[in-house]
Amino acid sequence: MNYLQHRISSGIIAVVAIWVCWISFTQKPAEAFLFPRVIAVFFLILAVWTFAKAILGRSRVGNGLSRTAARNMAPGVAIAGIYIFWAAKAMGFYTSSTIAFFILLSLYDPSPNSEPKTWIKRVLITIGFVAIMYALFAGVLKVYTPRGLFI
Amino acid sequence: MKKLLSALAISLMGFTGTTALADYPERPVMMMVSYGAGGATDFQARIVTMTAGNEDALGMPIAIINKPGAGGRVGWNWFATEADKDGYTLAAYNIPHFIAQSIKGGVDYSADSFEPIANWGADPAVFVVGKDSEFNSMADVVDFAKANPGKLTFSGAGLFVGHHIAALQIEKAAGVKMAYIPTKGGGSAAMKAVIAGDVLGGVNNLSDAYRAVQAGSIKILGVADLERNAFLPDVPTMKEQGLDVDNASVNFRGVMVPKGTPQEVIDQLAATVPEMFAHKKVAGKMKQGGSPMHIMTRDEVKAMWAARQTTLEELLKGL
Amino acid sequence: MEFIYYFGEVFTPISMLLLIGGTIGGLILGATPGLSPTMAVALLIPFTFHLSAVHGLILLGAAYTSTVAGGAVSAILLKIPGAPANIATTLDGHAMALKGEGAKALQLSFISSLFGGVFGVFLLIFLTPVLAEWALAFGPSHLFWLAILGVTVIGSLESNSVVKGLLSGCIGMWLATIGFDDMLGVKRFVFHSSLGGGVNIIPALIGLFAIPQVITMFANGRFDQDFERIEVQKHPIGDAFREVFKRMRALSIGTITGSIIGLIPGVGGQIAGLVSYDQAKKFSPEKAKFGTGHSEGVIAAEAANNAMVGPSLVPLLTLSIPGSPTAAVLLGGLLIHGIFPGVDLFENHPEVAWPFINSMLIGQILMCIFGIYIASFAARVAQVPKSVMAATVLGLALFGSYAVQQSMGDVYVMAVLGTMMFFLERFGFSAAPLVLGLILGPIAESNFVQGSMIANAQNGPMSYFFSGTLNIVLIAVVVVSIGYSAWSELSARKVAQ
Repeated sequence: MNYLQHRISSGIIAVVAIWVCWISFTQKPAEAFLFPRVIAVFFLILAVWTFAKAILGRSRVGNGLSRTAARNMAPGVAIAGIYIFWAAKAMGFYTSSTIAFFILLSLYDPSPNSEPKTWIKRVLITIGFVAIMYALFAGVLKVYTPRGLFI
Repeated sequence: MKKLLSALAISLMGFTGTTALADYPERPVMMMVSYGAGGATDFQARIVTMTAGNEDALGMPIAIINKPGAGGRVGWNWFATEADKDGYTLAAYNIPHFIAQSIKGGVDYSADSFEPIANWGADPAVFVVGKDSEFNSMADVVDFAKANPGKLTFSGAGLFVGHHIAALQIEKAAGVKMAYIPTKGGGSAAMKAVIAGDVLGGVNNLSDAYRAVQAGSIKILGVADLERNAFLPDVPTMKEQGLDVDNASVNFRGVMVPKGTPQEVIDQLAATVPEMFAHKKVAGKMKQGGSPMHIMTRDEVKAMWAARQTTLEELLKGL
Repeated sequence: MEFIYYFGEVFTPISMLLLIGGTIGGLILGATPGLSPTMAVALLIPFTFHLSAVHGLILLGAAYTSTVAGGAVSAILLKIPGAPANIATTLDGHAMALKGEGAKALQLSFISSLFGGVFGVFLLIFLTPVLAEWALAFGPSHLFWLAILGVTVIGSLESNSVVKGLLSGCIGMWLATIGFDDMLGVKRFVFHSSLGGGVNIIPALIGLFAIPQVITMFANGRFDQDFERIEVQKHPIGDAFREVFKRMRALSIGTITGSIIGLIPGVGGQIAGLVSYDQAKKFSPEKAKFGTGHSEGVIAAEAANNAMVGPSLVPLLTLSIPGSPTAAVLLGGLLIHGIFPGVDLFENHPEVAWPFINSMLIGQILMCIFGIYIASFAARVAQVPKSVMAATVLGLALFGSYAVQQSMGDVYVMAVLGTMMFFLERFGFSAAPLVLGLILGPIAESNFVQGSMIANAQNGPMSYFFSGTLNIVLIAVVVVSIGYSAWSELSARKVAQ
């Protein structure tokens, strides 16, 4: 399992290295790609070396990703992805942050879901976080973030 | 209840007859500078927009955002392709930089992608050498370049920016071949190369060179403009020294918006921004900082852009 | 000793108010991910319009000093370096925080910042003319070799596998070439419109350090088996001072390396911390402890990045050339009041120049006092439940990477790089060498291209890059550094067998 993961990951890196090499040596104008070529060659050598080691089963470090870890992270990563890549722009930073923060907190907070106290705590933490973000970025730093609903 | 409220809201809006535009600007405006914080363009942009919040100007502050990289290409590319066209996103332009880059190609903008608002400054390019250099006039430089073709190294802030245009014009006028070395990191990196002796000479902004002369680290040999500059009355122009170089490389700085911005907003900005630049507080700070001002209205800038487009196409044709 | 005379100006009520405000504000801004010292100082420039020249510069000086030190707070507690200067601090500082020694790590970092910072400012006061020549001595060929020397640091950062460390460095250097090429203006590897602006260092730092942590917290699940509430240990301040003095070697290596590197225009601030960390590790008898929460790592890195503050202003104050982006912004702060820096700055405007420098001295002390005060309760961050932490860091990452250039493109780059880094970390790669590549790649490239252009106009690349005392010294140091890394790797293997 672990060896297979090492092989796949170093294989992907090797493919990227080949792709970078290919682009660097084919794109014009050549002088703009001089430095990328030097890097690409080192990149490729090191990537192939790592890949060879992984194939031989001699990757000594890194624990890979267990099935439980993958299952645990899936909902969080999905929410985070929607939040960063879509909601932040479409709904506005503050609205999307409030929603995403609350959902993530409810997903990963170990306190019992059946008690009302848990939910009050979660709501308060969410409000506190968004209030601090608003005070810092909109108040002090005057950063104009994308607006959607409300603020 | 909800329906009632929304109906009320609509009727109220109809009643007062206001559109969103009449209130422009109702929130702070952002201005993108395509050079790093602390550079000449950034510094001047911060000064000329300092009174934007006053009631007689926009009534809202202008915040400067830097998107530096590749001689301005990164910022202007973003501005032409991704910036909001609602009047809340302005940008500083540098002529001849972005026009020359668009003629050269490889970018997603041209002079048609932007609408000028007003011009605030004109910073001519000057030829500088280290304080101990053997060159004392442009004639010395040209003589050396004639004797050693391709060996006279001189720095500038990048390719297809004002400095490079001046360099090309000098080479063309003198009929010599020199080695133009573009630096990364704007005018100050190019100036450092001259002072440290990494290169034999350099083309730089008049404002930065004026400061370096005050600091006693360089000599200025010539100004690439039609007339001598008020900051440097003793430095002759290129023309006076027999080099046929006009003002095509003078770095004009001003404000623009992306094409597609509502006409009312453009008109409002075009009316107020030149007056904002003319504020005496702005003029005082600009003079203190050694930055030459040159205020132009939208129509004047439009004509200037068109004139530059023709000149630069001519100059860059053979490259 | 003229500067002592001008201390009076610093101790007026209004100046002290600005100093204290600037220091506290700077610490908070510095601790916010995404706000580099450059940005913090640029944000303050509009305020200085309304102040007199002296007061404006006192505010900027205080803010510059304290933002650099403030970056250590997020580096230690959240493992998010606020700026490139704080990358090395994460290595041991965050490891200490995980052991419950967050308060100690913060105290050590502020005390060593104070020592490094004061030393740097004294260099600025007493040796400016000498240092100015040194700063100018670095031409394109030397900066190129310096960047290569920086790459050899990877051997020290990566204790597990040098090959994977170098590979990470290569990936970082490649990422740095994405976007418009700085010299020729050609688009490279732009396969999505978000990449037009390239990979910016601050969003990349946030992504590479923050996102893997967030995902790891998710991966550990709702009922984290390993998760025990970390006991935050109180740490008496006297012990912290004793500890710093006991680690004199790390403190002096950090201070000296930091001040030397800080001088070099265009490179200094970003790599001072990392190079000093590397040196401190190589000279330490307790090499194996580095990276596991060893106090020497924090002391060397933080002494270095504040030591660089004073010398980094030398080229600006004597030659009117800003040597770093932050110095460029400070130049604006001077020009706006009609003050032109140059060799005679101290003769023409002593009433502005000296209070400015003095304010950085007093600012260091204030920074240390307030920093230690903050440390006592900031260390409680380690007790925050993982669920709250994950959501908070994610939110901070979004806001911080957006705020740099107000660009969603940066946010997407941040998120993609961060997710990639999470998987890479699982297979034995780490973020620090990758970031080092990202920083050094452009320095190496632009100086190589520029050097070659100059060389071609002169006697060719061989003589330009390989002759001259400074070139040869730098090449020798590179060779020694590589040789030493290889030797210690081999001997470590022998020990293991």
